[in-house]
Amino acid sequence: MNKHYILLIGLFILGALYPILPSAYITVGVTVLLFTGWASSWNLLGGWAGQLSLGHASFVGLGAYFVALGSTQFNLAPWWSVLLAMLFASVLSLLWGKLTFSLRGPYFSLSTIAIAEILRLVAINEGWLTGGATGVFIDTLPQPFGIDFFSKTTQYYLALVYAALTIAITIFIATRKFGFQMRAVRDNEEAAMAAGINPTAIKLKAFAISAALTAVGGGIYGIFLSFIEPHLIFNLLLSIQIALTVIIGGRGTIWGPAVGAVVLVVAGEFFRTTFAQANLLLYGALILIVILTMPKGIVGEYSHRLIRRKYAKNA
Amino acid sequence: MFDYISFFQNLSNGVLIGAVYALIGVGLTLVFGVMRTINFAHGDFVVIGMYFAVVLNSILGWDPYITLIFAIPLGFATGALIQKYILARIIDAQPETMMLATLGISLVIANLLLLIFGGEPQSVNVSYASSTFEIVDVKISIVLLLAGSITLFVIGGLFLILNKTEIGRAIRATAENRLGAELVGVNTKKIQAIVFGMGMALAMAAGVALIPLLFASPGTTGATFTLKAFVVTVLGGLGNIGAAIAGGLLLGIVEIMGASYLNSAYRDAYGLLAFLIVLLIKPEGLFGKTVKRV
Amino acid sequence: MQKMLSAENITVKYGGLIAVNDVSLSLSEGKILGLIGPNGAGKSTLFNAITGFAPVTSGKVIFYDQDVTHLPPYIRTRQGMGRTFQTERPYQELTVLENVLVAAFLRYSSRQDAEKVALSALEKVGLLDRAHQLSSDLNLARLRRLELAKALALEPKVLFLDEIMAGLNPPSLKEMIELIRGLTTTGISIVMVEHIMEAIIQLADHVIVLASGSKIAEGSALEVINDAQVIDAYLGTD
Repeated sequence: MNKHYILLIGLFILGALYPILPSAYITVGVTVLLFTGWASSWNLLGGWAGQLSLGHASFVGLGAYFVALGSTQFNLAPWWSVLLAMLFASVLSLLWGKLTFSLRGPYFSLSTIAIAEILRLVAINEGWLTGGATGVFIDTLPQPFGIDFFSKTTQYYLALVYAALTIAITIFIATRKFGFQMRAVRDNEEAAMAAGINPTAIKLKAFAISAALTAVGGGIYGIFLSFIEPHLIFNLLLSIQIALTVIIGGRGTIWGPAVGAVVLVVAGEFFRTTFAQANLLLYGALILIVILTMPKGIVGEYSHRLIRRKYAKNA
Repeated sequence: MFDYISFFQNLSNGVLIGAVYALIGVGLTLVFGVMRTINFAHGDFVVIGMYFAVVLNSILGWDPYITLIFAIPLGFATGALIQKYILARIIDAQPETMMLATLGISLVIANLLLLIFGGEPQSVNVSYASSTFEIVDVKISIVLLLAGSITLFVIGGLFLILNKTEIGRAIRATAENRLGAELVGVNTKKIQAIVFGMGMALAMAAGVALIPLLFASPGTTGATFTLKAFVVTVLGGLGNIGAAIAGGLLLGIVEIMGASYLNSAYRDAYGLLAFLIVLLIKPEGLFGKTVKRV
Repeated sequence: MQKMLSAENITVKYGGLIAVNDVSLSLSEGKILGLIGPNGAGKSTLFNAITGFAPVTSGKVIFYDQDVTHLPPYIRTRQGMGRTFQTERPYQELTVLENVLVAAFLRYSSRQDAEKVALSALEKVGLLDRAHQLSSDLNLARLRRLELAKALALEPKVLFLDEIMAGLNPPSLKEMIELIRGLTTTGISIVMVEHIMEAIIQLADHVIVLASGSKIAEGSALEVINDAQVIDAYLGTD
């Protein structure tokens, strides 16, 4: 898979140059990168292990709140808050997974919606901790080596590193034992069991990693927004957008999440300026179109055909 | 001194709301039994029912309960068409694909409603909205009573259809074993369209029954209802209609009791917590068939 | 001769239905045990009970002196059981090689080592030239061989074959029989559920016959085939 790493480095360099463009474009850039990161994280669980989560906003929210509360209430630097958020997210996902993975597929997906809902309600009602429905405002952040976290450019680079990291992790896992075990569980759980794989253990591992990585992006998102409130963060729509990004781009592929993020964010911007409220209609229509015409997603369909052609040529 | 009157007040409210939840849950579980997939758009069908009542009320001045007569066949036809032209094409893909398709439908519906009706919550004004009916000092809201009665009526009708008609037999056969039903000559494709239609009809009926009590607002209302329907079916057990009814009643009671005796801000959470507890202890639902794997 | 596998008084009940009724069997090292019987006799259920895919209501399954009766299938695989499935279960998004790799990773954690084992298994079943083809593009006969390769890559001590001959045309059938015969020289013991009598006659050292959940005959292939009760059971249900 060396060629993937090379492509990643190339894209990283391109990405590092992006802020040359007028500052109006930076926000879009950050959004695309954050979605790439979240989508790649989601992909580990949803694309590779085949468990569709519709509650990943939970982990985004955890990351954001830990960073926000860490700085305003506990004077913690963001990197410590993020680490704590990662830990909390992993534990939460392990507990939740243990409860729901032994049930049929749809149950798991629906239960992930329930996690996000519960977290949202807790965030709204436990105001003493979370600032309640009015939210939390991050006013100060440390300045290590003189880096200003409030600058959009800094946030952009944080997001860039995050996106690259999640893709690198995906490439790493793709060729290793864990990557194969996940796909086996996804494609045929009984056959996987016969092959000596414990499906629940694999799903739990994928869930924990996915949750922790998503939380990292959540922390960056928190800094980016600098104002966090429950509705915005523990938002069902955000969960759906993350899942959709990967479904359109291609579940279980390495570059699918990135492609999906670009398509979704760019198309979303376009639709928002032309259709205002109806941009969400776009998502629904997109899901249906993708499912009915290219169920494997853009990258998925492409690589499927590529494998077939490669085999036919060499046969 | 324990306040018996309040207690029975709350209990009766819980039961009546629970009846409507049961109606929502029954629709979802019926569809699951035959199509083996969770319909994410179910809650949005309920919202369609609510808007249907709103529109007919504001244009024609009809009482929502009269609207019901039209809501049911309309829901049935629409649902059957959706199944036939969209969902039937992916029936043999993995169940998650179907689930995602219903998610797409849900988003389309929720946002079409938003486009058409705007974001303001709307409701229906009925003269008897705040009337109550008293039994020994316990006041029961007329509207709730009507909602509960409608539920009884509709579910009763459903039971008759499922158990006393040819179609009902075919439906039960398909739910039991799709391949087996095909082998004895059941047109399972037609049955699936019919059942999906029935599910939507039930959802719309629930929406109409609820509109005097609640506001119709698009956005995530649909998702909230779908989640409630899901909690109902988990409490009762997927695929089991009688259990869904019990689950709905339980949810209604848990919500009202929790809101009254504990923290009312967390009202929606009590159902979720109950669902968690049931998942933990008895995942097949309190009365349901097993949902565990091998 | 060591008894590696013994199933003692296995009964499997589903609700009121008795699928397997007090059946015992044992397998000695390097031998091939055949399990036959008419449709609905309970062979597959017994097979699944031994490999961990059906719950045992009463009785014991002892594998290399370990009681595995209630252990999940993946633990039994790790201890040396390897099985094929009657309805082929390829990992459809993966290539042929990747399918076998999944199994090879059981005993080898490094990609290189696992790949070597996988390629060798593919070579044994004659699928090496299709290593990079999508498994979803294979025909039935090749899917069967893929199933076998996946089981072999587990380096099992006992191989469980579930109707691996079903639906194969005569040339493929002959090939498969030869393949299986070749395996025993490597020290693997085999339990095979079969309908195709020719395969049983040519391969099985010992045969057990089930009908309506109970064992009705046991012995060498020829003995069993000529047994009146067995003939009756088959003809009776046809």
